[in-house]
Amino acid sequence: MTSIIWTWIAAFFTLAILSFLYKDNPLYKFAEHVYVGSSAAFTILYVWVFDAYPKLVMGFREKVGMQKYLLIIPLILSLFIILRFIKPLSWLSRWSIAFTVGMAAGLGITGLTQGFLVPQVQASFLPLFVQGPTTGQTILLTFNNIIIVFGTIFTILYFYFSREHKGLLGVSSKIGVTILMITFGASFGYTIMARISLLIQRVYFLLHNWLGLV
Amino acid sequence: MKKEIPLAITFISGVLLVLALFIPHKPFGNLEEIFNDWYIIVSGFTFLLGIDSLLGYNFGKLKRKEKDAPYALVLILSFFITLTWGIVEIVRTPEHNPFGPTSTFSLYFYNSIFIPLQATMFAILSFFIASAAYRAFRAKEINSALLLVSAVLVMLGRIPLGQSAAPYVITVIFLIFAVYFFAESAGVTEPKIKIAYILVALIFVALIYPLGFVYFRQHIPEFADWIMNVPQMAGKRGIMIGIALGGIAMSIRIILGIERTYMK
Repeated sequence: MTSIIWTWIAAFFTLAILSFLYKDNPLYKFAEHVYVGSSAAFTILYVWVFDAYPKLVMGFREKVGMQKYLLIIPLILSLFIILRFIKPLSWLSRWSIAFTVGMAAGLGITGLTQGFLVPQVQASFLPLFVQGPTTGQTILLTFNNIIIVFGTIFTILYFYFSREHKGLLGVSSKIGVTILMITFGASFGYTIMARISLLIQRVYFLLHNWLGLV
Repeated sequence: MKKEIPLAITFISGVLLVLALFIPHKPFGNLEEIFNDWYIIVSGFTFLLGIDSLLGYNFGKLKRKEKDAPYALVLILSFFITLTWGIVEIVRTPEHNPFGPTSTFSLYFYNSIFIPLQATMFAILSFFIASAAYRAFRAKEINSALLLVSAVLVMLGRIPLGQSAAPYVITVIFLIFAVYFFAESAGVTEPKIKIAYILVALIFVALIYPLGFVYFRQHIPEFADWIMNVPQMAGKRGIMIGIALGGIAMSIRIILGIERTYMK
């Protein structure tokens, strides 16, 4: 019985959101506000269970020596954030925000360099001639590598705005735009397919789990 | 001092992390790990500011008895009910985890409220993306035509019926291009260019059978994969390298105190 009630609730929220396809209506607005409110609470619970509790509370319980006492710093910075709600002391929350911004900037430099820039550049240095098992394979693999290497370079050149896009730079950036358009088109097609599969999943839920028709 | 101390905190925390990358010895060696834990803890608490803003805004609506005050009440109630439910499950379950397999929170709230709302919200976006695409994808010039063609080919390559539908979709697309070039040739006075336009139109017509009915009927999934793995990859790499360079530049500006918008 309980599972039937919850299936009906799930079906109600699914239909309420889908009703927006007709027009904005009170049912959709109700579901939308439930979604925003519950998502906010969900985030709080998630942050507590997976971030704050294991790192802070468990850290105080399990860590020893200096490592344990060092946890007082993030605890104080976290409490400073809450001080934002107390007007005379709200300026202290800037310290915590400054810390998170500084950390994000530091991680930005190291993380983007190690995780994005170097691996992407490394992966783009491909041989411009590849010997395949057959002539057709050789031509295809070489062609693919040429597109990847020059496509990457031309795309970057398109975003270079310190010089007017004329002459060689103009031609390169035009090819860059062409590559970008194919990229956006392909990404668009891929996104549409992901959304459609979600829609199929919801329709299947309505027809199978709720109505039992299929 | 109210500005200098935060600037110093930003500078020190940012620089120490960068130093830790280059000096893999104590005390810098495990600094990245320690700072990362601190960052997770402190940034977790910053969510409270967002929650304060969300609830404050909606309580304000209730107080002022605005037109959509009932919805603000729904939001506030759903927030507190979800939060209370989660806290009860943290206390009740043996693993103190509302997301655990034995929790009613994950069993009922997550599966019957959160997932239907989130999945359907994202699912209906497909209709709006499609309607936006209808307005944006006009095969008027070569770049927007490429956008349209690559999107259609990737979509056809991802569905089981794509191979059967491909010949007809390709026929329609190529006929549109042929008609477009043929119509354009009517407005051209230069004989050589006129002939070139007509030739291009004829090439599109001639390619319908070999490409649409022979090649794509058999190889559309492979071709969609090729688009994703080669030209799409090149463009994406260019964008990602650009993002990385921009992000690094912005991070340096923040650490050096040139960028201070977060202080406002």
